[in-house]
Amino acid sequence: MRRWLWRLVLVAVPIVGIVALPPLGHRLLTLVGIYALLGLGYQLVFGQLRALNLAQGALFGIGAYAAALSAPYVGGQAFLVSIFAGMVVAALAAAPILRLQSHYFALATLALASLVNLLAVHAEGLTGGANGLVGFTPGLPQGPILLGLVWFLLVPSILVYAAVFRGRMGEEARLLREAPLEAATLGIDGGLWRFLAFVAGGAYAGLAGGFSAALSGVVSPEVTGFPVMLLCLTSVVVGGVRHPLGAVLGAAVAVCLPELFRGLQASWLLAYAAATLVVVLWAPDGLAGLFDRSRPRLPPAMPERIAPVPGPQRLVLDRVSKRFGGVDALVDVSFALDRGEIVGLIGPNGSGKTTLLNAISGLEPADSGTILLDVRPIERLPPHAIARAGIGRTFQAPSEGEPREAGLARVLATEAVFLLLDEPAAGMTDREREALVRLLGRLRDAGRGIVLVDHDVALMTRVCDRLVCLDGGTVIAEGSPEAVRADPRVRASFLGLPANAA
Amino acid sequence: MITLQLVLNALALGMAYALVALGFVLALNAAGAINFAHGDLVVLGGAAAVVLAAWTGLPGILLLPLVALALGLAGVLAAHVAILPLARRPAEATFVATLALAAMIEQGLTVTLGAAPRTAPALAGSGAMEIAGVAVGRQPLAIIGVGGVLVAAVWFLLERTQVGRRMRAVAADRQMARAVGIPVRIYVTLSLALAGALAGVAGFLLGHQFLITPTQGAGHMLKAYIAVALGGWGSVPGALLGALAIGVFETFVSAQVGDAWASAALYVAVILVLAVRPSGLFGEPVGRRA
Repeated sequence: MRRWLWRLVLVAVPIVGIVALPPLGHRLLTLVGIYALLGLGYQLVFGQLRALNLAQGALFGIGAYAAALSAPYVGGQAFLVSIFAGMVVAALAAAPILRLQSHYFALATLALASLVNLLAVHAEGLTGGANGLVGFTPGLPQGPILLGLVWFLLVPSILVYAAVFRGRMGEEARLLREAPLEAATLGIDGGLWRFLAFVAGGAYAGLAGGFSAALSGVVSPEVTGFPVMLLCLTSVVVGGVRHPLGAVLGAAVAVCLPELFRGLQASWLLAYAAATLVVVLWAPDGLAGLFDRSRPRLPPAMPERIAPVPGPQRLVLDRVSKRFGGVDALVDVSFALDRGEIVGLIGPNGSGKTTLLNAISGLEPADSGTILLDVRPIERLPPHAIARAGIGRTFQAPSEGEPREAGLARVLATEAVFLLLDEPAAGMTDREREALVRLLGRLRDAGRGIVLVDHDVALMTRVCDRLVCLDGGTVIAEGSPEAVRADPRVRASFLGLPANAA
Repeated sequence: MITLQLVLNALALGMAYALVALGFVLALNAAGAINFAHGDLVVLGGAAAVVLAAWTGLPGILLLPLVALALGLAGVLAAHVAILPLARRPAEATFVATLALAAMIEQGLTVTLGAAPRTAPALAGSGAMEIAGVAVGRQPLAIIGVGGVLVAAVWFLLERTQVGRRMRAVAADRQMARAVGIPVRIYVTLSLALAGALAGVAGFLLGHQFLITPTQGAGHMLKAYIAVALGGWGSVPGALLGALAIGVFETFVSAQVGDAWASAALYVAVILVLAVRPSGLFGEPVGRRA
């Protein structure tokens, strides 16, 4: 769908709604806007970062209580209090739970939500208990004004969301979602991303909750209950988890469906849950995905010319060691890499080559030893900080559906000085291999330092200035390719040749 | 005061939770994703007991296999509707699909049975009996007995039979299991059937003392989830211990401060434990590979 067309529709909906709809229509349209705000905030966390946050409904409830409690004192500014409440609770909860992996994150947010619900029911002095709060609406906007306000905030939010995630931020979010390790080694700070998304999501949830309090005039523990969370999750899935229009489409379905199925009474929820299941199974991009197929992503392009980059001159490893349980993966590995140099890392399977790259890039921090960029120690930095300090790396397998060079192209775009390339030639044709060799040469000439891992000893001999041979986590030989290949221990352990033959 | 009855109640509750958690972790390992509908299968088990009792008039002990069979079938259905079709998609797809399934079960029960609480029949007579001069409830004793037998049976199945070994193989490494010729889909379905049967039995056992309402599913699921997270993700003995601990904790803390604050304390404890130990109290049996 044309971009200007859906923008026009978005702006027209509330205007036409205010002019043409009866009061019940106003109410429904306001509700669509409220759920869309809630869903838009949820898209940041669940859609963009694929983090199953089950506390969004509770943050909505907190926003509703915040508005109900503050409206008698501050009137319409109660909505600001709602935003603030959602953000503060999200920010406070973020510290213990944001670093958790998927299913622990879901559990922690679920526990948080259950806690909020319990407090809403039992902290009667504050929340009015099961009866809830009433009589707070006189100072709050109502009817068409509320409708206008909700949509006045919703429409620009959708446009900003669309603009932000169309470009570089969208690609960062995709990498965080699909290849979090690679994202970190490209210098993307996943922790900061998650924090900002979670807090922004909390702000939208709080605001939506505040508006819903103004609309309904009652705030009771149900607003913090799991059904609200379920409604939010399902509407975003039905509409489209990442599409800019997903939240508003899902909200429209969630609000209109019960009206259409009025005759069915309570079973509209059954129909809605079934519809969600159908969408998950057969239309993973939701309703928005049906009319707006996501365009195939262009693979990142190799830079035309490779310019010199500023930054550190030398990478030094000094007695780097790493143990996994009882296994010595790396034992006192030391070597240095200068700009304009290609060092090949060879060794049998399991000798520690990839572990060494992981230790340098911070994915599996070394247990002991130092890693210096010039004089700056980096062995304790998180991966994204190491990447920003000038170390880039590629992985053995690119993410699904990408050409083999995509990872390398992304790493070159970060302008890293030192490149750690893990089997970049694996699975390449002879022609692709030759192109890679030429590229490596150009990178060397442009002042990059490269650590190359590959099993093709002929290729390594041709490309590398020096070889380092690992065996059982220990450096057993280092020097010119010819010298290392002639080394008796290398011949025995890696090349599978008799140690003494010439 | 800690009485024998209180201890017995704590163990019975813990044992019922252990059955829920055992099914949850079997489904989790087989599907590689959380089954959010597991708690609703527990509720469905209670509802099935109510309905079957009304239809057949059979005593509790004979209803037990019928409920297990019915919920085993429900587990098979869950596997084919919300888990197997999504095997190649990110785990979040299964999350959402099973959440939708959970909502369907809850709403389906609300529509058909109504929201009012129901009571499942007792397993072996209600009321108390006297053991060595002390009055103890029959239902808690029956729960501990049935639960113990079922846990032992599942242990035997998993550890001592070829079927169980294959189920564990599928759980440990689906690709490898397929490579050595194990029909993965069948064993995933079988695991879900077993998970459903255990959930159903647990729902039946809990439904006599604690009544059955359609909205309870999320609470059951949450407790199993907590048990598995604390006991070590994917660890079967860990899940059992975690569930027993939750039952004991709830019983004793709620005897002191009431149900609501006992639950609140549990949730706070979960968040604190995860904050300090992001991989659960006992860590994960399988480490992540970079």
